[in-house]
Amino acid sequence: MNHLIPLFIAVPLGAAFFIPLVSRHVKWVPDVFGNLTMFSLAAMSFYTIGQSEVYHLGAWQTPIGIDLRLDGLSSLLLIAINVIGLAATLYSVAYMRIFTSKLRYYSLFLIMVTGMNGVVLTADLFNLYIFMEMAAIASYALVGFGCEHEELEASFKYLVLGSLATLFVLIGVALLYGMTGSLNMAQVATSMQSAAQAAQGTMAKPYIFALGLFICGFALKSALVPFHAWLPDAYQSAPAPISAMLSGVLTKTIGVYVLARLLFNVFGISQQLLLILQILGALSMVVGVLLAIGQWDMKRLFAYHSISQIGYVVLALGLGTPLGIIGGLYHLVNHSVFKSLLFLNAGAVEYSTGTRDLKRLGGLNQALPITGKTSLVASMSIAGIPPFNGFWSKLIIIIACVQAGYYWLAAWAVFVSLVTLASFLKVQKYAFLDAAKMALAKIQHTPFFMGLSMVVLAILCVVTSLAVLSGFDAPVLIAPAADVLIKGLITL
Amino acid sequence: MEIFQHPFLYPILLPLASGLLCLLLPKILSRVSGWIAVIISAFTVYLVWPLFMSEPQTLDLIANFSFKVDKLSGFILLATTIFGFLISLYSLGFMKKKIYQNKYFAYLLWTIAAACGALLANELIILLSFWGFLGFTLYLMIALGGAQASSAAKKTFIIIGATDSLLILGIGLVWIITGSTRMDGLAIPLNHPHTYIAFLTFAIAAFAKAGAMPFHTWVPDCGEKAPTPVTAFLPASLDKLLGIYLLARTANDLFVMNWAMNTLLMVVGATTVLLAVMMALVQHDLKRLLSYHAVSQVGYMVLGIGTGIPIGIAGGLFHMLNHAVYKSCLFLCTGAVETKTKTTDMDKLGGLAKVMPITFICCLIASLSIAGIPPFNGFASKWMVYQGIIDAGKSSGGLWIIWLAVAMLGSALTLASFVKVLHATFLRKPSAEVKQNTIREVGLSMTIPMIILAVTCVLFGVLAYRLPLNHIILPAVKDTVAFTGIWWAGPATFLLLVGIIVGFVLYFLGNKGKVRMVSTYIGGESLPADEEVTGIDFYKTIQDINPLNALYKMAEKNFFDIYDVGTKFIFLFVEGLRHVHTGRLPWYLSWVVGGLLILLIFLRS
Repeated sequence: MNHLIPLFIAVPLGAAFFIPLVSRHVKWVPDVFGNLTMFSLAAMSFYTIGQSEVYHLGAWQTPIGIDLRLDGLSSLLLIAINVIGLAATLYSVAYMRIFTSKLRYYSLFLIMVTGMNGVVLTADLFNLYIFMEMAAIASYALVGFGCEHEELEASFKYLVLGSLATLFVLIGVALLYGMTGSLNMAQVATSMQSAAQAAQGTMAKPYIFALGLFICGFALKSALVPFHAWLPDAYQSAPAPISAMLSGVLTKTIGVYVLARLLFNVFGISQQLLLILQILGALSMVVGVLLAIGQWDMKRLFAYHSISQIGYVVLALGLGTPLGIIGGLYHLVNHSVFKSLLFLNAGAVEYSTGTRDLKRLGGLNQALPITGKTSLVASMSIAGIPPFNGFWSKLIIIIACVQAGYYWLAAWAVFVSLVTLASFLKVQKYAFLDAAKMALAKIQHTPFFMGLSMVVLAILCVVTSLAVLSGFDAPVLIAPAADVLIKGLITL
Repeated sequence: MEIFQHPFLYPILLPLASGLLCLLLPKILSRVSGWIAVIISAFTVYLVWPLFMSEPQTLDLIANFSFKVDKLSGFILLATTIFGFLISLYSLGFMKKKIYQNKYFAYLLWTIAAACGALLANELIILLSFWGFLGFTLYLMIALGGAQASSAAKKTFIIIGATDSLLILGIGLVWIITGSTRMDGLAIPLNHPHTYIAFLTFAIAAFAKAGAMPFHTWVPDCGEKAPTPVTAFLPASLDKLLGIYLLARTANDLFVMNWAMNTLLMVVGATTVLLAVMMALVQHDLKRLLSYHAVSQVGYMVLGIGTGIPIGIAGGLFHMLNHAVYKSCLFLCTGAVETKTKTTDMDKLGGLAKVMPITFICCLIASLSIAGIPPFNGFASKWMVYQGIIDAGKSSGGLWIIWLAVAMLGSALTLASFVKVLHATFLRKPSAEVKQNTIREVGLSMTIPMIILAVTCVLFGVLAYRLPLNHIILPAVKDTVAFTGIWWAGPATFLLLVGIIVGFVLYFLGNKGKVRMVSTYIGGESLPADEEVTGIDFYKTIQDINPLNALYKMAEKNFFDIYDVGTKFIFLFVEGLRHVHTGRLPWYLSWVVGGLLILLIFLRS
């Protein structure tokens, strides 16, 4: 029994309540505790590499007790969540000074992390729902953290659409429980399989209904077109480190991860489901990127790109081939690094200049050198330029499309990557290369912690590209995670 | 790690590492970075020399990590590193006092490293990685031009990046078709739509890099806005070498060409020659004019390779080498003029021949070379391309006469446009804007590269067969090259020289002391003091000829610019999508419900 596993849930949850208790009157406590918590979680997450086991909480056996399942896929996600989380909290030390209550901020932040860690670890459908809601509700509050008109409206929109997703998922869980009599994923998978075998391979209608609800619910959470409408407003209005968390890990954890887990490991993948994933992915890719290139608000532009990049991930998973799944998961990790860096860049620009409007910016390469350089790295990563990480995952995805015989999807991905490049060169040109439109003296310097966090992520953009050198044969991170999906249904 | 001791990896790793060092140097030591670049680039030439001399050899590091050098890549490798060295030497003078020195020399070294990597790659994925990185360094170097260069940098990188992405698709297809991405074993027959698409993606990547139509539009923008040594190194020489290398590799080794694809290449080549030179004729800015010629000359290379005949291919490759020599010489001359006069607008220049004689003579030699005047190198290679076209015509169709006519017309127009350049910049009356008495010749570090290049123009022309062809070009072509036409460079040069000397003698015997000096007149009327004859206006009349005027007007509106057309096309969809996103919550909710319904119906079926 690896007793580290429950700590991923217990530590941030404890810290979330501990911070407001002790820090009412001491100003530095939230920063220090928040960062310490995330640091220890990030460090712990690396100890999960290569491990896989089912942890019985309180030693109660399945199905009586609550199970946590650690495998290659959850390990990959744990590392992504907690490392990006650490970068976000580091950044928040300086950035969140412009808001009033750091104490509530860290509290909510850690609850969100708890929820995400729980989602990737749980082996139980109902707990999955609970953790998903923890993360989601904390994120509703964090999106509206500025409490201005714009933030509240975005938060409300997000809340309404998010609740709809919650409703779908809850009904789906209830249906599955009613049909199989169990909430444990492995048991549900086994009973569904035997039920399908008894009915000569056809799925009973309640299962189909539950499947539809799940796909719809988690597509909403991962903001796939046409379920994406909440995303741009939410990302645009949230404080920068929260946008980074939402885009970098939240939509992936409570959206794409769960979708993949349920479809590949619980329901069992089929050609029909793969086709759905392909369509959702391809639509999101192109709609997201086309909406992005027309934007002039930096964060909103990045937000639409999140839709498009998640589309890449879902499309690659939807190919169903080992190469496609590797490409998809690799892109998922890469995207969480470069996209959170981009949002942190946008936050730094807004912090220093007071605006995110590309038409009013310019000349920031001179005024904000660290932001300029890190944003160049992030932009090149997302645009898929070697030697940065996005290039390799994009390469694998396009080649996987060709390999699977989907030539049009490959061409589609090439087109999207072209528009992506164009829109990030637009950002570079207007914000960083062009002549300054505001007095450079007015621009504030980037505080140390914001710079540090951005530099760390920029280095990660290059470091993660080294994974490609291993040829994905080495049993670290991506290959074991892909194995989990390739192997199909899970058992106890 | 023994694998890191292989001679293939030094020319890649060494400039890469020293480039990083330049980037990390503090600002105070920025002069040091220039010297690092000069020394390292010279050392890289030394490193690739044995590769150039060696027989073809392969290096398999680990699985899917294979490098190879053969006669084709060997000579382009050598040319690349020599240009890299000359440019860093020149930049030492040009970049003095520029604040971005460290970055510039770092990017220059990275470019050399990536070019070596792309040329040595024996694995398509490795080729692609270095290829993409080259696009990135190109973007960074153009962006050094500051705020005014930002649009050109963006446009360049979008065109180059887009074609690089297409290349991924092509590589994927090659992998599916043959089961391998190793380059040395490939010879794909063009017999299936997929093979055609794969070939086209490779060709498009090569066209975009080399600047052939319709992917050329970044070259003039970049040439005008980027720092001059950048233009001299990248669009004018290195990108041509690489682009034509890829095209030659694709057409000769990776794919087995057929008539249709060869004709396609010839169409692209001929169009590029003619249209780009027409655009060049009407330019005012020296750098922009030269850039259009850089596009136009690519046409000859593509034409040569498109013939599919050994002599045509050899001619195309030879022209690529020659073009890199004379075009970088021309850009370096422009840079020298720009350093001293602070402008490249031909309306404001004039009379520089007296004050900058070395620059003038180098520019004159390079201009005659690009115009294809014997005995300079441009003629030698164009002559081979013409022979290739005629030979190709023997076996297939009557189209060859068109290609030949276009190529020759292009050559004549090139001469016309360089007469304008020489006259407007160096020969005519000094203009009012540029103060003659303060201008001196540029320093040694800038003149030496120009002189080396100009001398190379002459040597490669006069000794075409003995020097470059015999040792460099002909071994790089797979089959034996049969010369059908006759051109003895030695005797011809001798006769030319004799003719010139006889002319001089006659002039001095007959007219010495009888020359009458009068004031400038036009149409029989003497010219007022405040008016000038620039010769530039003379070329404007081309724009008024029917039906060319309509074409020029369309070109002015960027009607032929694939970048502008593409942007407009994409924004049509953007507007449509924005129209649907109203921001109203009930409308979005209905999407969710609609989506759910469609999903359920689909799942039921």
